Parts: sequence; structure tokens; C-alpha cells
Amino acid sequence: METFKILQNYFQQLPIELQLVWILSSFLACIVITLSIYLKFLRNLLRKKEVLKIKLQHKYEGLLLSYLFEESNDNELSEHQNEFIKIIQSKINDDFKRKIIVETLLKLKNEVSGEIERAIQNLYLKSNLKEYAYQQIKSKKRYIVANGIKELAQFKVKEAYPEVKKLLKHPKKEVRKEVELYLVSLFHFEGLEFLNNLKVNLSEWDQIELLEELKHFENQEIPDITPWLKSKNETVVLFSLKLAKIYNKYEIVDTLIQLLNHTNQKIRLQVIDVITHLQVLDAKEILKNSFKVRSLEEQIATLKMFENIYEPNDEDFIIENSTNNNFEIQYSALKMLKNISEKSFNNLLKKNNNFDNNILKFIQNN
Amino acid sequence: MNTITLNAIIQVIHYLFFTYAFLAISSYIILSIISAFETIDYFKKNNFVDYTKILSSNIAPSISIIAPAYNERLNIVENVRSLLSNHYANYDVIIVNDGSKDNSLELLIKAYDLVKVKYLINPQLKTKPLRKGVFKSTNPAFEKLIVIDKENGGKADALNMGLNISNSKYVACIDVDCLLLEDALQKMVKPFLEVTNKKVVATGGVIRIVNNSIIKDGKLMEVNLPNKLIEKAQILEYLRSFLLGRMAWSRLNGLLVISGAFGMFHKKIAIQIGGYDTSTVGEDMEIIVRMRRQLEEQNMNYKVAYIPDPLCWTEAPDNYKTFISQRNRWTRGTIEVLRKHRKIAFNSNYRNLGLLSYPYWLIFERFAPVIEVIGIIYFGILIILREVKWDYALAFFILAYMFTVLLSLGAIYSEELTYHQYKKKGSGFKLVLISLIEPFVLHPFILYAAVKGNLDYFFNKKKRWGEMTRKGMGNITK
Amino acid sequence: MNETKNIVLAEDNTTLSQLLKFRLQKEGYTAFIAQDGKQAIELIEKHNPNLILTDIMMPFISGLEVISHVKNKLKLETPIIVFSAAGQEEMVLKAFNLGATDFMAKPFSPNELIIRIKRILI
Repeated sequence: METFKILQNYFQQLPIELQLVWILSSFLACIVITLSIYLKFLRNLLRKKEVLKIKLQHKYEGLLLSYLFEESNDNELSEHQNEFIKIIQSKINDDFKRKIIVETLLKLKNEVSGEIERAIQNLYLKSNLKEYAYQQIKSKKRYIVANGIKELAQFKVKEAYPEVKKLLKHPKKEVRKEVELYLVSLFHFEGLEFLNNLKVNLSEWDQIELLEELKHFENQEIPDITPWLKSKNETVVLFSLKLAKIYNKYEIVDTLIQLLNHTNQKIRLQVIDVITHLQVLDAKEILKNSFKVRSLEEQIATLKMFENIYEPNDEDFIIENSTNNNFEIQYSALKMLKNISEKSFNNLLKKNNNFDNNILKFIQNN
Repeated sequence: MNTITLNAIIQVIHYLFFTYAFLAISSYIILSIISAFETIDYFKKNNFVDYTKILSSNIAPSISIIAPAYNERLNIVENVRSLLSNHYANYDVIIVNDGSKDNSLELLIKAYDLVKVKYLINPQLKTKPLRKGVFKSTNPAFEKLIVIDKENGGKADALNMGLNISNSKYVACIDVDCLLLEDALQKMVKPFLEVTNKKVVATGGVIRIVNNSIIKDGKLMEVNLPNKLIEKAQILEYLRSFLLGRMAWSRLNGLLVISGAFGMFHKKIAIQIGGYDTSTVGEDMEIIVRMRRQLEEQNMNYKVAYIPDPLCWTEAPDNYKTFISQRNRWTRGTIEVLRKHRKIAFNSNYRNLGLLSYPYWLIFERFAPVIEVIGIIYFGILIILREVKWDYALAFFILAYMFTVLLSLGAIYSEELTYHQYKKKGSGFKLVLISLIEPFVLHPFILYAAVKGNLDYFFNKKKRWGEMTRKGMGNITK
Repeated sequence: MNETKNIVLAEDNTTLSQLLKFRLQKEGYTAFIAQDGKQAIELIEKHNPNLILTDIMMPFISGLEVISHVKNKLKLETPIIVFSAAGQEEMVLKAFNLGATDFMAKPFSPNELIIRIKRILI
């Protein structure tokens, strides 16, 4: 009591600004104390959740395995199987548990195909987990919508198509992306139709995901990609160039050659890469003739391309570039020259000594 | 001098100190708020990202891990093995043995069936020459591994050699003694691939402290708080800096540092700007500042991204001697980099870089210890002159202290609500305790090291140059 | 066929390895499960199995290194089936160079795996 009095007297005689400082400090101190105490509860909660999660993961994993094991014996659902479905249905509105169930299903589904995959999809449908995903895609929050679509795609829920397709033009890219993936994972190459009218950029990450999804299908008959190669959306062009390379689309060579004059350097570079891969001999003369006006990166890529398909009549072009100041071009040229004709190579060395010593030594010793 | 002028001068000095402190505290508050928003965003966005496609994709872009090594024989074989098992398909590992005097190279040759290969190096960046050459494994299981043995030239020089050797689109520059988690590459490469309206030129990662945690077979089995006060205090410091500070700067696209222990770069751009600077001890900060500077000059629309996931774990100094020498080096590095690029300061041609990031570093990072020391000296003089108004001193000291503690608690909460790595019972209590005493137990040493760094920088040139070639390995020394 | 045949399975997805273990046991094999390459090597050295199934991408010691260890260091002729992600032709090629017998691209059908195992262990 005594000390409190002293403090109170001290406080009251302070100038107003110091009183404020003390009030602020006490306020901060209160926050610090509250946060410190609450931290204990928070950490306990997190720890409990984690323990529970591991326990549930084990439990659901066991239930799933026995479900699958019994289904392969018999077409009728057994008691165990119905039990698991009932468990899932009862947990459907419990976010935490539902999430673990879906994760458990996916963990296995992603690794298997055939009858087991179908059995897991079946389980997803029968247990009404899909209803929850339907609810999610009606949400106002973009990440929840996106998550719902992703789940429907992962479990290949075809009936959701009309609902999902409506979201293709959604203002948020997170949602659009999941719709695109949904279309491709259910309808394969036909699902790529969205590319026809795509106005926004398709990121590199999205492209890789789409291409990886396409790889899983047995039917690798790919539609005509020429319209996409001519798309105004440059990311669509880049994406279809990747398709051309992966699926060896020899029939689009003419379009490729046109694309060598695209305004975007990134596209031109990738075209050279596809041409290299497809070994398009027709492109050689065009690249030779336009060599000087091309950017350094394209020039390097051009020489790399020649390394795979050079012929003796390319010798002049190669000799011309063997004195190029760029390390990579000079190396490619000298290497090819030595392979075409040891004689021309030695003649060139006699006439000229402007070469990078390291390159020369390396080529002569190999 | 009469008392009136003296009092006036004292008043002015007080206001200057007060303004500085006020600005510093406001900036911390603002940064913390921004970081909270950015963290929430990051988690919402990455909550359901599917990495499985990227990690096994062979169309995913190529990455080289470049790890310079200097006298690392104790752990090098194990560390390389863990680098080789990252979950990403299209990558290789380039170990640059930077003139080690121990038998690291022989150990690697034996463990991984290495043989010398002919390798034409494109000398885009100037480096010290090769010593024993370039080595690759005869065993297809280790095809990803390239080992280069070169003359000693310091960490920056070794990294430049790695940049010359790499054939990949991106390079991850790391310290060889770090533990990289297996999903590190796929997570770090994501910003490069997902941003379409800007060119991402570099991504920084978080460094976490591994002291006293349990590692088995290259896997982090159990994260523990270390025992020593100095180690625990550093954990708190790292949490503050990575989860609050850098997260916010990443949102502002104003990051000036990517830790030398773990960062990823667009290789072509790293080479185009001239690679690492071998003449500074702060090469990890320098390369980012120079990269940003040149890209601003080219008017490029770029971004330096940041990934807050705990992917890279390293040993922090466990004694005051190493700690002080580490911080001394960091201080000198910061001074060197800021001086070298002083043209950027307050220059509106450099937009955010010149008007925000650089000034912030200069005023609140570079000069903070200097101003603090001046403040302490000034306070001492006032005591001698019996001019101290103890009421004021005490009130403001308590306020500053409460604020520091609150900031640390903010960092702890940020950690608990995101990654929750320190799971053991009692760790929370220990972290709170540390945040209460850290200002008294770690801060004085940081201040001392910073002052020593300043003195060494300006008055001890010999030390600067001696260190460059001899050591210079690892920002975080064991 | 008097004694049961031993199979070592190295796979870091626990659900998948449990599923495969059940299936293998149902077919009359004894399965030992390893969660990473290091455990796999320990199990192989201990049990000298008739067949090894291994994922390629595993922490610390990769599937390739497991194959290399079995073929080059232990000098065993044990048949090995590797699992790899779709589109990893290069990896698979390396695995074959090291001495793998067969491969399954993930996602794969467990039934098909069993058929191939039976063919190898006939």
C-alpha cells in the first residue's frame, strides 16, 4: 500500500508527456503479459492438434487400407467398408478431420492407377465428400473456391463440369488456374480448348502443371496446335511450343518457321529449341541468312542446333563463325569444323590466330 | 558559454535522438504489420499448392546447387550426399573446393568414385585458376555431382567459378555446411516460375539455426532449442529478422540481402552483372544491391522474391568470440556495400531502391550502432555534468524496452502460427524468457562487434585484406 | 517352392508401402519395408531378399544408389524393380545401366506390379 502511494504521488507530479509515456509502457506491458500467457495455451493447442493429426492419419490410413483390401475381394460393400464410409460422412463438416481424410485418400491415389485408383474415387463419391467440395466452389473466398476445384479435379468428379466451367473466367487467377487443371485432368487434350480464348498470362508454373497432367494419359493423340501457335497471347504460344517439342509435332514445321520472325525474343529462342529437337533441316538456310540480325542468344542457340545437323555444305557458315568473339559460338563452330574436315580446321589455324587458346587446346585434345 | 545556450544545445540533441528513436520504432511497427499481411497471403496461397508435379518434371527448369568448400573434410561427404537427394528432377550439384589445405578432395573422390574429366570452362567471370581440375563420378547414381578443385580465392571467387561451370538456368548458392531440406529446390524455384508480370531475378531463403537439433542421415529429425543463452538469443534474433523484417521487405520488393547461406539466382543475370564481387566481405549483400542497381538502370521490371519456409539449417556460433568476429565481418560487409553503391542513396532514379531500401539500411542498420554508441557516450557526459533528468531517462528506457520485448513476442507468435518448429514443452516459456533478457545479454555484444567492425573498417585495412583470401568461407562460421 | 520368398520394398510413402505389403503377403511373399535408401540397404544386407522394389526419389540415399550398392558393392544378382515418376526416362535409363531389372512408372497399378513380380520370381 505504502509503495503504491509513493508511486502514485510520483506519477502525479510528472509532466503530462511523461505520464503518457508511462501509460503507454504499462499498456505495452499488459500486452506482453497477455501474449506470454496466451502463448502457453496456443502452444498446447498446436501440440494437441499435431498429436491428434498423427493419430487420425494412422487411423484413416488403416481404415482405407482395409477398405481397399476388402473391395478387391468382392463387389458388395462389406461391413468394414460401410463403417469407413459412415465415419467419413460423420466427419464431413469437421474441417480438420475432413482435411486429413482427403489427404489420406490423395496420398495413396496419387501413386496408384487402375483398380485401386478407381476404388478410391468411388469411396470419395460414395461418402459424399464431393458435396463439401461443391459447397466450397460456391464460396466467396478465392482460395476456398480454388481448393474445392482442385479436389474435384483430383478425384475426377466429372459431374461437376457445368459448375466448374462457369468459373473459367473468374477474376482471380488462383481460381482460373484450378479450372484449367480440372479441364485438362478430366478431358485431357480436349480440356485445352480454353487456350483458344485465353487473354491472361499462363505462368511457367501453370504450364508445367498442365503438361505433367497431360503426360499421365494413355491416349497421346494431340489435336492440331497451329491455332495456339498463332495466338496473340504469347504465353499460349510458348506453351504450345512445349507441346510441339514433347509430342514431336513434325506437321507444324511451317508454322515454326514463320515463328522464327516473332517479335518476342523468348518465343524465337524457344522455336529454335523446338527446331533443334525436331531436326528441321529446312530451317537451316533461313537461320543462316538471318544469322547476323539475330540476337546473341539466338545466334548461340543456332550454332547449338547446327551441332546436331551440320552437313559439309555448311562449312562456309561455320568457318565464318569460328572467329566469333562469343566463347560458345566459337567453340561450337571450331568443334564442327574439326569434325567436318580436319584439313579445313588445320588450314584455318594456319591462316588465323585469333582463337581462344582454351577452346583450341580443348578441341585439339579431344 | 552560458547556461542558456548549453540548455538549448542539449534540447536540440534530445530532439534529434528522440526523432531517430521514434522513426526507428515506427518503421519496425510498419514492417511488422506489412509482414503479417504478407505471411497470411503466403499461407493462403501456398496452402494447397501441389509440388508433386514440379519435383518430378523434366520440363521444370534446370538448377545447379553451387557450394563452395574450404577445409570442410569433417562433414563434406555426408553433406554432399544430402545435397544429392533433393526432391527435384532437373538439377546438379557443383562443389567448388576452394584451395582447401585438407584432404576434402581425396575424401570426395573416394566416396563418390570421382575421376578427372576434360571440361571446357567458359570464363565469363574471372576467377582463380583450377588446381587439380574438374571431377565427375563414374557411378551413374552420382551423375548429378561435379567437383571442382581450384586455387584459393575466397567464397565469392569460388561461387563465380561455379557460375562459369553451371549449365543450368538457375543457380542455388549455398554454404556446404548447411542442411538443405529435401523440398528446398522446388519451393525456391516457384517464384521464378509463377510471376508473369515481372521478371524474378533472385529468391532468398530463410536460415534457421540447427544447434542442438538432431540430424540423422541428412534428415532433420527433431528441432530443439539450444542450451546456451547466446544460441537461444540468436534464434530469437533470426526469427525477428527473417519472419518480420524480410517478409515485409519482400512485399515491398525492397530486399537488399539474400543470405549467402541459401539463395537462388537467375544465372544469366548473375553473370551479366559480373557475378560476385571478390573484394568485399559482404559479397552476399553486394551482389543483390548491384543486381538491383543495374536492373534499375536498365529500367527492367524485376523482383527479388523471398520464401519464408524453413528450408536451410545451419550452425550458429556458440561462443562469444566467434559470434563477435562474425558480426564484425557483417558490419564491415554492410559498410563496404553501402559505400560502394552510395550513388543509389536518396536518388529517385532508383525508385524504391534509392528512396526506401537503401536509406533504411543506411540509417537504421548501418548507423544504428553508431548512434547508439554516441547516445551512450552522451548520456555518460550528462551524468558527469549532473544534467540527467532521471524521470525522462527512466520513462523512455522502459518504453523502449517494452517495445523491444513486444517485437520479439510478435516474432515468436509469427513462428508459432506458421511453422511451429520448436514443438517441445517448455520451449515457449524459454523463448519468452529470452525475449525479456535478450536486450541485456546479446545486444551489448552485437553493439560491441558492430563498433569494432566500424573501427576495423576505417583503421585496420590490413585485417580487411588478410581475411579475404585466407578465410572468407561461410557467413556463419562454426 | 518350399520357403517363402523375401522382398525388400523401399518407398517413402507409408500408405503405398503398407498397401503393397498387404498385397505381397496375400500372394505369399514376406515383405520388409524401408522408408529410405539407408534402411533399404540395411534390410537387403540383413535378409538377402529374392527381389528388391525401390522408389528412385528417396531421402539421403536415392534408389539409384541402392541399385549401385547392391550390384557393385554387395555384388548381388538380386532382381530389382524401380518405381519412378512418369516422364523420367533418363532416370530409368540410368537405373537400367546400373543393373535394374524392370521399372514401373508412377502412378502404377498394384495388380500389374504383382504380375511382374510373379514373372520375375517364378
